[in-house]
Amino acid sequence: MGAVVLLLFWKQANSNVLEYIVPIWEITGTFGALVVVMGDFAYPTLLIPIASMFAPLLTVFLILFVARNASIAFAEFIIKRKWLDRVKLYKLYALSTLFLGITFLVLLSALVSGVGVNLAEGTFSLGAWVSSPGSLLFVIGTLGIGVGVAPVFFSLNLMKKIVLPLTATGVGLSVLAYYLYSPSFVSSLMLVPVTLTLLAGAFFVASKKTAAIVSNKAIFITILSVIIFSLQFLVYPSAMGGVINVDAVTTSGPLTPAYLIITVVGGVMLAIMLWFYINITMRSKRHASEENK
Amino acid sequence: MLDATAIATFDRFLFAFTIASHIILVSMSIALIIVISTAEFISLRRNDTYYRALSRRLSKVFVIVFGVGTASGVVMAVELVTLFPAFMTLVSQTGAVLILYAEIFAFFLETISLVMYIYYANYLSKYAHWVLSIFIAAGALLSAIFITMLNAWMNTPNGFDAAVFIQSGNVTGIDPWAPFITTSTFGEVAHVLPTVLFAGVMLVGGYFAWRHIKSNDIEEKKMLTKGLKIAAALGIGMIFLAIITGVNEITTLLQLQPLKYSAIELNPTPGTDLPEKLFGTLVNGQFHGSIVIPHLQSFLVQIETGITSLPGLSQFPSSTWPPLYVHITFDIMVIGGFALGLFFLAYFVDWAFLKRKPYESKLFLYSWVPLAFVALIIMELGWVTDEVGRQPWIVYNVMTTQQAANYNGGFLVPGILIIAFYVILLPLTFYFFSRVFNSSSMSEEEKKKQEDATGTGVNY
Repeated sequence: MGAVVLLLFWKQANSNVLEYIVPIWEITGTFGALVVVMGDFAYPTLLIPIASMFAPLLTVFLILFVARNASIAFAEFIIKRKWLDRVKLYKLYALSTLFLGITFLVLLSALVSGVGVNLAEGTFSLGAWVSSPGSLLFVIGTLGIGVGVAPVFFSLNLMKKIVLPLTATGVGLSVLAYYLYSPSFVSSLMLVPVTLTLLAGAFFVASKKTAAIVSNKAIFITILSVIIFSLQFLVYPSAMGGVINVDAVTTSGPLTPAYLIITVVGGVMLAIMLWFYINITMRSKRHASEENK
Repeated sequence: MLDATAIATFDRFLFAFTIASHIILVSMSIALIIVISTAEFISLRRNDTYYRALSRRLSKVFVIVFGVGTASGVVMAVELVTLFPAFMTLVSQTGAVLILYAEIFAFFLETISLVMYIYYANYLSKYAHWVLSIFIAAGALLSAIFITMLNAWMNTPNGFDAAVFIQSGNVTGIDPWAPFITTSTFGEVAHVLPTVLFAGVMLVGGYFAWRHIKSNDIEEKKMLTKGLKIAAALGIGMIFLAIITGVNEITTLLQLQPLKYSAIELNPTPGTDLPEKLFGTLVNGQFHGSIVIPHLQSFLVQIETGITSLPGLSQFPSSTWPPLYVHITFDIMVIGGFALGLFFLAYFVDWAFLKRKPYESKLFLYSWVPLAFVALIIMELGWVTDEVGRQPWIVYNVMTTQQAANYNGGFLVPGILIIAFYVILLPLTFYFFSRVFNSSSMSEEEKKKQEDATGTGVNY
């Protein structure tokens, strides 16, 4: 969300966006590592076909991920010298993050729809993926939603006008993409993400009071989580266009209790650390607002 | 088109290149946070502006090294799946995956503590701020311990029925917790940690020495001298530990991986009175290009471990031998380590017995800079010796690297791009390291610090 805003509206929006991105980019990267390892654990029998099919795409993803981390780490402490300054480095960060997101969306759409995937031969054809009518709509629609709701998350009042048109267009294109992938994806459950997404946008533009509610980070993230979970259940338990039954390839047996123990212990530790983190950010916000008074 | 063997070789090269780059960043990260934490603690105890400036500058540098290191860690995690999918399938079907899972939580400890340490210093008491640096260090060290545990499991796999797996490919008899403690885990962790920290400390200290030589600013020289004191103290402690644990690793090798030992020592046949060979290789069972010192190998092993009968390559089928250049990498590692040991012995004698100040001596400063690269090289060669010495196995006696590799040639081009990217990125990281470290003078920093209204902790 922040990447496109930084690229297109740097002057108007950089302070609002960077205020949230700069202190947490390290943590979001760590969550990325968590997703990789959880994937390793949860679907061991899928690792060989996934490696075979998506290795080139994943390699591009990795290059972009390193570029993202390096550029923001350099940008934070850079002192202007000749042509290189923090604005250029932050824009490089935004660009690599944007392409990282697009790469992820290509991967996600292939995993959901199976378009371009030949599981028997272990190949993924980008050409076949692009020529499928749903694919580009899926990426464009999701990006539309992302950019549309970005002002909501970052409280960017200057960009209020784009929220509803972009979000509505993004939602429309996404629903169409799902329909083109498989009409069975568009069930009554689809109403949950569609309604919540549009409501978030509508709340933001309706009044200052409703905008403050929906821009609250805890509320925004809760809505986002509900949207993602409901989208997941549109597809579950199948993946790759019904070729794979997710339940059949999920880890079971003696590893599961051990995994649960580490999840509980690590999860409690993580919750405590995040509690400290949120506590200290709240303290800094209070301090800043007291200083403003 | 490349054939399957060539693609598998590329898989190995790409991963080797990635990990070789990654461990430089890891060693520097671990060393930096320990130096930062030590400097900050001393600055608090003594109210010393030089130690305070040092910890503050290095904190900024740490974020850069950490940011790039984190990304390259994710690259490795994904490459393990894309380059060696069969290996990761085995890891994921046994408790070995739990080691990786536990590592992620250690990583969270490091990351979240770092975020609070860097961005919210003004809202913490001075000692709470310093305690956070301990948490960062603990997270970094725990991550290193967990990843070394996985490597130990690759050397001495357990926690599943290996015989059934070799026969049928099915993973049975799973003990999820066993991979956390294999027969080689303790020894390997005990050796890897000091060597990695040592290499990082040498690099950081080498940078301090180089800046000390170049700088004309007396205040900066004082700050760098303090940094050199910390680096030298850590260096002496770590090389001492590395030597002791290294000797223990020889015993472990003899007992658990005699073939690797035979290749490392270039023993064509087993025996009880074997010579030490420096460099060279075997040609038709004869040493070629080696400096041979009679009796020395058996003599040293007996002193170190009490073992008298040593293994040789002839005891094993030649198809299972690792590349014999591991003998050369091992020799360079030992000779380099010996040189570094002598350097720190001289340093210690100069400081403790001759009551001089080696951290200000030009001889030591000029010596430290090249020795920093020696330390880096021997760390890399130690890792090459361990990994190549286990070949052709990726999981010892269970799965070969060829069996584990991905034969999809589709990522040759992106793989080459990754290599090119690292070739640019690593020097760039060190360039930014240097620029950020030298971005302001001591006096400017102190002035800025005093102007800060809250004045607690490290303020950016």
